[in-house]
Amino acid sequence: MPSRRSNADLARFLRRLPLAVVIAAAIWFAIRPLYNPVICTLGQVVARAFEYPRVAKIVLDGKDAVIGRTDLRADSAWLKVSLTQIHFNIIPFMALFLAMPRPFSRGGLKALLTALGVLLLSHVVALLLNVKVYYSFNLGAWSRINYSDFARNIYGGLRYFFDIAVTFALPLLLWVGLFPERVFRLLGFDQETAARHAGRAS
Amino acid sequence: MAALRAFLASPAGRFVTRYALALAVGFIVIALRPVNDHVVNPYTTFVAHEARLALNLMGEGASVRGQTLSSRRFSVQIYNGCNGLEAILIFVSGVLAFPARWQRKVVGMLAGFLAIQLVNIIRVVSLFYVGVFYPGWFATTHIFVWQSIVIVFGVLLWLLWVHRYALSPVER
Repeated sequence: MPSRRSNADLARFLRRLPLAVVIAAAIWFAIRPLYNPVICTLGQVVARAFEYPRVAKIVLDGKDAVIGRTDLRADSAWLKVSLTQIHFNIIPFMALFLAMPRPFSRGGLKALLTALGVLLLSHVVALLLNVKVYYSFNLGAWSRINYSDFARNIYGGLRYFFDIAVTFALPLLLWVGLFPERVFRLLGFDQETAARHAGRAS
Repeated sequence: MAALRAFLASPAGRFVTRYALALAVGFIVIALRPVNDHVVNPYTTFVAHEARLALNLMGEGASVRGQTLSSRRFSVQIYNGCNGLEAILIFVSGVLAFPARWQRKVVGMLAGFLAIQLVNIIRVVSLFYVGVFYPGWFATTHIFVWQSIVIVFGVLLWLLWVHRYALSPVER
């Protein structure tokens, strides 16, 4: 059985988690009005950096991003994307972080900022993949002429992977990857034991 | 670069690498058309029928057509991505990536599969009733409330599996 110390740590973590989820959701609600325009602007800048002519347009519309091209007619198709779907994973990550004992101590703040940076990057990439899906699927004959079936499959597959796999898995990966000692202590053993065991099991 | 190499050689780094690999392979497999047609779609229909049974236990009089769950009051379509399979895959990747004996991994995957199935049925039924009584809240509840809960639940299951079951006392 795990040690009494790790049982106590895990019990404390589990007790703190519901409140941490509520606080994380409150933080997310508070930063969302600032965060949405940031990822739209960054998404547009990066999309334009990799295309010629530079025509990608990402407009914030409430809680959604509307994706279009400035060189097409005004009545051409535009793609509406839920920004909440892209960046809600800040909530579970923040909840896991805040539920840990003394989350800001021993480099916790630096690791938190690193994690938020990685999350921001993943959100911008998710938005960019939506731009590519819009270009390759939503513009009728223009899409078919400019994108092959293979390219459409790649962009569609990548968007699906980012929409679900990356969005759902990143909170756990960042939590384990950036706070390994604390997470292993919660699990009931230190990193040396984990290293010894990993060598034996693999 | 050296820091990254050191991280990848650490137990946490090895876990993250294996997890990402297992996840990528799993998602590629379920995205393949034959798997989608013969496994994922029937599974989604099965989830719709499970939710119908749960709703009918509460007297809702629901029916399923394809992957659409309907009653006289509300109707909801269960898409791939909302069937719980991806959440199961994310949990299973965590189990596979952790260095434990295979017997313990198999038990963890089966138990996790059942637990996530149960939570997903609760999720579908609760979303159905949100749609009936508070339709304006459906999108919010669907996207950020339940998806956050599913992620936190998956992490909790994994934590409890590792803490209680993955390693025997001798292995710790």
